[in-house]
Amino acid sequence: MTRRLTMKRRQLLATGAIGAGALTMPRLALAQSDGPIMLGTLTPLTGVGGTYGPSMRDAVAGVIDSVNSAGGVLGRQIELVSEDTQTNPEAAVRAARKLVDVDGVSAVIGTWASSVTTAVAPVCWEGGVMVYTVSGSDSITQLPHEGYIIRTQPNSQLQIEVAAQFMVDQGATRVAWIGPQTPFAESSIAILGDVAGEGGASMDSLIYEADRTSYRSEVDQIMTGDPDFLMLGGYAADSTVLLRDLFQAGYEGKIIGPAYAVNASVLDALPNDVVEGLFTWEGTPDVTSGAYARVQEILGVDVVDPYSAQTYDHANLAILAMAAAGSSTGADMRGGVRTISQGDGEIIDNAVDGLAILADGGSVNYNGASGPCDFTRIGDITGTQFLFRQIQDGQPVDFETV
Amino acid sequence: MISYLASIGVTIGIYALLALGINVAWGLTGMINLGMAGFFALGAYASAIATTSGELPILIGVVLGFIFAAGGGLLLAAITFRLRGDYLAIITLGFSESVRLFMTNEIWLTRGPDGISDIPGPLRGELTPRDFNLLYLGLMIVVLIVVVILLRNLANGPYGRALRAIRDDDVVAAVAGKPVGRLRLEAFALGAGLLGLAGALFGHYHSYIAPDMFLPLITIYIFLALTAGGPGNMLGAVLGAALVVAVLEGTRFVHDVIPGLSIVQVAAVREITVGLLLILALRFRPRGLVPERPARSSELGLSTPRRNR
Repeated sequence: MTRRLTMKRRQLLATGAIGAGALTMPRLALAQSDGPIMLGTLTPLTGVGGTYGPSMRDAVAGVIDSVNSAGGVLGRQIELVSEDTQTNPEAAVRAARKLVDVDGVSAVIGTWASSVTTAVAPVCWEGGVMVYTVSGSDSITQLPHEGYIIRTQPNSQLQIEVAAQFMVDQGATRVAWIGPQTPFAESSIAILGDVAGEGGASMDSLIYEADRTSYRSEVDQIMTGDPDFLMLGGYAADSTVLLRDLFQAGYEGKIIGPAYAVNASVLDALPNDVVEGLFTWEGTPDVTSGAYARVQEILGVDVVDPYSAQTYDHANLAILAMAAAGSSTGADMRGGVRTISQGDGEIIDNAVDGLAILADGGSVNYNGASGPCDFTRIGDITGTQFLFRQIQDGQPVDFETV
Repeated sequence: MISYLASIGVTIGIYALLALGINVAWGLTGMINLGMAGFFALGAYASAIATTSGELPILIGVVLGFIFAAGGGLLLAAITFRLRGDYLAIITLGFSESVRLFMTNEIWLTRGPDGISDIPGPLRGELTPRDFNLLYLGLMIVVLIVVVILLRNLANGPYGRALRAIRDDDVVAAVAGKPVGRLRLEAFALGAGLLGLAGALFGHYHSYIAPDMFLPLITIYIFLALTAGGPGNMLGAVLGAALVVAVLEGTRFVHDVIPGLSIVQVAAVREITVGLLLILALRFRPRGLVPERPARSSELGLSTPRRNR
């Protein structure tokens, strides 16, 4: 008797759990050909990238609002669905499947971390959905994606080439690279070595363990080669520790680091002496463009971060690609995006203007907030501008634009 | 929609295998294994490398994934032979980090932080994504049923009783003549092997693995699954895994139900829910939804005094 009761309770629990599972999925909407066109953002709202994701998403929402109030695209309104990558590839894949299979999005916009982009890309291209990304790892556009990936972030090769040339131009004779193991570490060292070699400079490198509280032994090791220009390869937390240790060890040469690695929090955390004369560089948004001004307005900020500028462009590119292709499927948009991003068409900086021109049978060339937005065959961006800054009295001051 | 449901099913299957692996070591034998992510990674990498660089068939890759993780588990259990409780937990956590760092830095073997992409899956490319997801779900269910049946038989047999005796009091088990040391090694290795099996199946399903995928966060999900389902109980582990994935995925639809929340708040609510559930489960149902039943002598097949009537 007791045993039979236990079984019953078990069955009840099992049924209850299955029922609860079913209830958590109230919306069984599928991609429809007559309802609104769905666009998805997949940005990091929590985790390491959580500081960037919310504004990246808001920039996309701003574009969609303006296009919807101007009548939509292909005669349909656009609806935004947003998911969180949690800056974690495993969670991001689950989120991407939901966007692709449940919401039926035409494009996934704004993947940030390189490992996240690499993980979600197959889910998207197998489902016939385009991915617009801000990840920098070289390997991403080398995936067999058949045109489904568009990247507005200059790849790490281009970024390092530009910075390496800058170091040589500034008279470096013994350059060194120091950073943690990342997807860019190996290629950064190789490229810096090549450019330095052509410029007649020697080259040294050191890969360290990220997120340590002291890098004194690493600093001692890199200083045995007596470098006169150091490139930092880590993120902000490492840079803070490393710069302090370099200063204490009496390093007197020059230092350059990517702007995301020597950001405001690093400058706040360190005394001015430690960072005086330090160079930073970044692919810069086109701050003079009308598109940039519009992102400033959407986000309500003075300085737009490069990622939000890029997702603003992603949304415009995706919407214009639909109009040019006459279809909201990813397969058709692949071709459409290249006809509106480059070429001899009329230069525009927002989708609303572009849609009007395309509707009249014209052709357009979108130049956005992040730059001219021209793409190679495999989806890499060309023609990005780079801004070099120098820290003076604790503040970054523009040095030169390349 | 069907692909999405199928992929949730596959995720439940992988989480369930992980929960079962932890269950053998922790639920049955009482050995805490916080190095779950490490064994998960070991299995995933072994199978991925074998089937990409090694060009071996997927089935062999999966078996290798199991063997490598089980071997790693045996080695770790042997090294930590005399450690119990908190100390074992710390060592296993350290092991998991070491595995992740190895995968990040030994680029010649693992392609480092770029990860391994293009891992083959059964008939991927020949089937539509929907059919592939359904096929994989089918395979996953078969694997899961086989594993659950084997583990149930193991747990309910004399072997499982010995493991539970070690969990409850290893001195008593030793006094009763059970080879405590050997059983602990075997249980830990078997659990680790199941984690590796889950890893291998995870890699072949997603076609991409990278060191970032094996962070300790997933360990928390699995311990939640096991605590919710009922430690020591095999069906409870599967049910708990289903519950955790249902929560992880179901909370995506929170903003349809509570419209006032911003997107960032929804993201935060999802993470809070997981933590809250873990606390509530521990507080109100520490033995899980399906508690382990105390065994009765009559069910064990032992001779019991019985009146003839």
